[in-house]
Amino acid sequence: MSATTITEQAADAAPAAPAAAQAIGVAREARVFRRLRVRMLRTVARQVLSEARFRVAVIAVVSIIFWVGLFIVFAEGFVFLRSALDNQALRAQTVQAVYNVFFLALTVMLTMSSAIITYGNLFRGDEIAHLLTLPARAERIVLFKFQEGVVFSCWGFMLLGTPMLIAYGVTSAAPWYYYAMILPFMISFVLIPTGLGALLCLLVVYYLPALRLYALVLAGIVVVAIGGAWAMLTIGSPTQDMLTPDWFAQMLGRLRFAEQRLLPSWWLSSGLLEAAHPVNDPANRIFSWHDSLWFLATLSANALFAQLLVVQAGARYFRAGYSGLQGLVPARRRVRKQWVDRLAAALMGWLPRQTRALVIKDLQVFRRDPVQWSQFAIFFGLLALYFVNVRRFNYGDPMRQWLTIVGFMNLGVVGLILSTFTTRFIFPMISLEGRRFWILGTAPLERSRILWAKFLFAALGSVIPCSLLILLSDIMLRVVERSPVVAVIHQLTCLVLCLGLSAMAVGLGARLPNLREPSPSKIAAGFGGTLNLILNMVYILAVVLATAIPLYYWIEGAPSDWQRAASGTWLSMILPWIGLGTAGSVVLGVVVTVLLGAVGTFVPLWIGIRAFEKLEP
Amino acid sequence: MIQLEHLTRKYGDKVAVSDLHLEIPSGQLFACLGPNGAGKTTTIKMMVGLLEPTAGRIQLCGIDAVQERREANRLLGFVPDQPYLYEKLSGREFLEFVGELFGMDARHIAAGIDEQVEAFELAKFVDHLTESYSHGMKQRLAFAAALLHQPRILVLDEPMVGLDPRSMRMVKDLLQVVARRGTTVFMSTHTLSIAEEIADRIGVIDRGRLLFLGTVRELRAHLSLGDESLEHLYLRLTESVAEEVAPSRLGAAGE
Repeated sequence: MSATTITEQAADAAPAAPAAAQAIGVAREARVFRRLRVRMLRTVARQVLSEARFRVAVIAVVSIIFWVGLFIVFAEGFVFLRSALDNQALRAQTVQAVYNVFFLALTVMLTMSSAIITYGNLFRGDEIAHLLTLPARAERIVLFKFQEGVVFSCWGFMLLGTPMLIAYGVTSAAPWYYYAMILPFMISFVLIPTGLGALLCLLVVYYLPALRLYALVLAGIVVVAIGGAWAMLTIGSPTQDMLTPDWFAQMLGRLRFAEQRLLPSWWLSSGLLEAAHPVNDPANRIFSWHDSLWFLATLSANALFAQLLVVQAGARYFRAGYSGLQGLVPARRRVRKQWVDRLAAALMGWLPRQTRALVIKDLQVFRRDPVQWSQFAIFFGLLALYFVNVRRFNYGDPMRQWLTIVGFMNLGVVGLILSTFTTRFIFPMISLEGRRFWILGTAPLERSRILWAKFLFAALGSVIPCSLLILLSDIMLRVVERSPVVAVIHQLTCLVLCLGLSAMAVGLGARLPNLREPSPSKIAAGFGGTLNLILNMVYILAVVLATAIPLYYWIEGAPSDWQRAASGTWLSMILPWIGLGTAGSVVLGVVVTVLLGAVGTFVPLWIGIRAFEKLEP
Repeated sequence: MIQLEHLTRKYGDKVAVSDLHLEIPSGQLFACLGPNGAGKTTTIKMMVGLLEPTAGRIQLCGIDAVQERREANRLLGFVPDQPYLYEKLSGREFLEFVGELFGMDARHIAAGIDEQVEAFELAKFVDHLTESYSHGMKQRLAFAAALLHQPRILVLDEPMVGLDPRSMRMVKDLLQVVARRGTTVFMSTHTLSIAEEIADRIGVIDRGRLLFLGTVRELRAHLSLGDESLEHLYLRLTESVAEEVAPSRLGAAGE
């Protein structure tokens, strides 16, 4: 077809006037956006089912295992509560208090996460720039993206909340309608904090566009400070009669602050507990159901009101806020080498020049991106706060048996937090470097060196804070004072965890890169990131248990009961060989840990290097 | 018809567009030229509703584009330099979505899509997901989407970036014909030869100020430079502004 013919046809298709465009009503506009979402979801579902069945199966199986695991933990907890508290009224109050605190904490977290997600969805995406040039209502665009944000921010709540609520129902013989009401309650509840978060975001961007980051950081600091102060006040003072009825009564008094009748978290917990009430008298059961429905109605009405506020704020503030934000010019910062860079360069003087240059480049990028180090600082700061509080295990003999377990649990917690960071920040680095391959791919250096540099960056960056945290934990638990050998073993285990987790993130990041996705958070949330997280958990469990079990029995004495119970079974074949309770078993455990560390470090790196050398961006 | 009246936009203290006064009648193909950071894209963003002016007015076919944004957008077709497409939609589904938002009925959408598919040679890939498109394919689909609802005003931000010679020829011819039919076309470009070839009128903008407005012939007369190419004229014009600014900056620095 000649260009002239094409032109004539196109012109026929595009006479200038009158325009074919007509104003569309709210209902049709809603249908158009709904169809858009349905079409995209259908395509994604079709693609996933045809091209990534294995990935879906892995994620589904892991989610189910996670859900069942949580269900068992919660069910055991509720059964324990039954046995620890004979008094039914006190038990009900305890559960109510725990629910109040849990859902209040979720309210705060959902509000904050919704504000952040709304900001990313409404003010950072290319999609919005496209939609704003179309004749769509601003409030429709806000609602469209708000609904996406709600799903994105609450799936974790659903995954965490449903096993707890169902476990409570099962252990307290709740009637059928309790289970039927769980989802309506949760959905209504979620819409309130997420709506408030979205509203907060729209107002901050409109009124304080230049201060949006500071506003967010300030809000985060306030939340952390309040949470920390509460934690100190609630569990900070020593108590010797832990988990006794008196202790529960004391705790109830301290948790009362979450029992505010104007809080949606209180409506949710009260409504669900009313529905779960196993009243034998059918007449009273109707009253409970009635009360529960009343709470659900209150939650639903407020959820709808929150959504209405978001829509109204969208109509009023979104377009102007977007324009204001676009109008901000990022200040041109003249950057110079800081003492950190000079110190890092001096400390890494032993490295080859190219590797050193790559590590320092990553360090500079990390240091200049507050999003990265602020999350790092907040989480590790919270851990430090928790470790400072574990000193209470030092009071009284009843607590002493927990010391060894708590020490290793702290190691596990540090490992789990570190794994979320390596998955979020280290795993996507290779994919992002793939996008910058025009410089690294054409530079005169071996590709393996890039990977080794990433590994060094991750390992050095994680070993220092994690080792310090474990040292803090051991000081607070007086492990350093009582048994320096145990403290050394803790440090060794921590080192093995840091090296392995760093290597897995780098290796798997190179083996399963996503070169199309520019967003690191989306890369981390993909299959590769999920797989990395799962393998991390298995690795942490294996490494911690390999040292924890022999060390525990070495400190606490040989498990004679266990050995007796195991006689005649396959365990009796293993136990004498391991020699649990002896120093030899501890040495063996340490050797196994080091071997696990070597495998967990070198195998992923080897896989990653092989894949990276063949990578064609 | 596009009317920009004393249009000003500031980014903090920096003035991106300064008191821009411009009127482009229906059926005219207007090319906006200027170096990087001149204020072309800011002007376009204000016209299509992504930015609000700090001062001044934008009238699109008599409609105040700030006060009646949705009404103004209904008259517009916009092709950005990097068009956004939904990756999980096919080209046809994307066009249907755009047509629906512009209030077209199903019959007109189907007919319009068929016409645009043929015009921009989209048939081979219009039913594939847009995630598989090359930049040129995306750009052609963006043109189809912008023209689907028969806009009265077509705004183009660097429309030729990434197009192969055949597609460029197609777009250039199309723009001329669309303008002949009465659509006002506002195009920003760095490619001077394109402006010289197809534009009815050009505007040269630098540091937010309109330096020149008229035809290429008028620009030659303005600079008294005979038969030089537009490239030479453009460089002379923008260099003279740079020279005007430089001494004052030096003076300021020396004070």
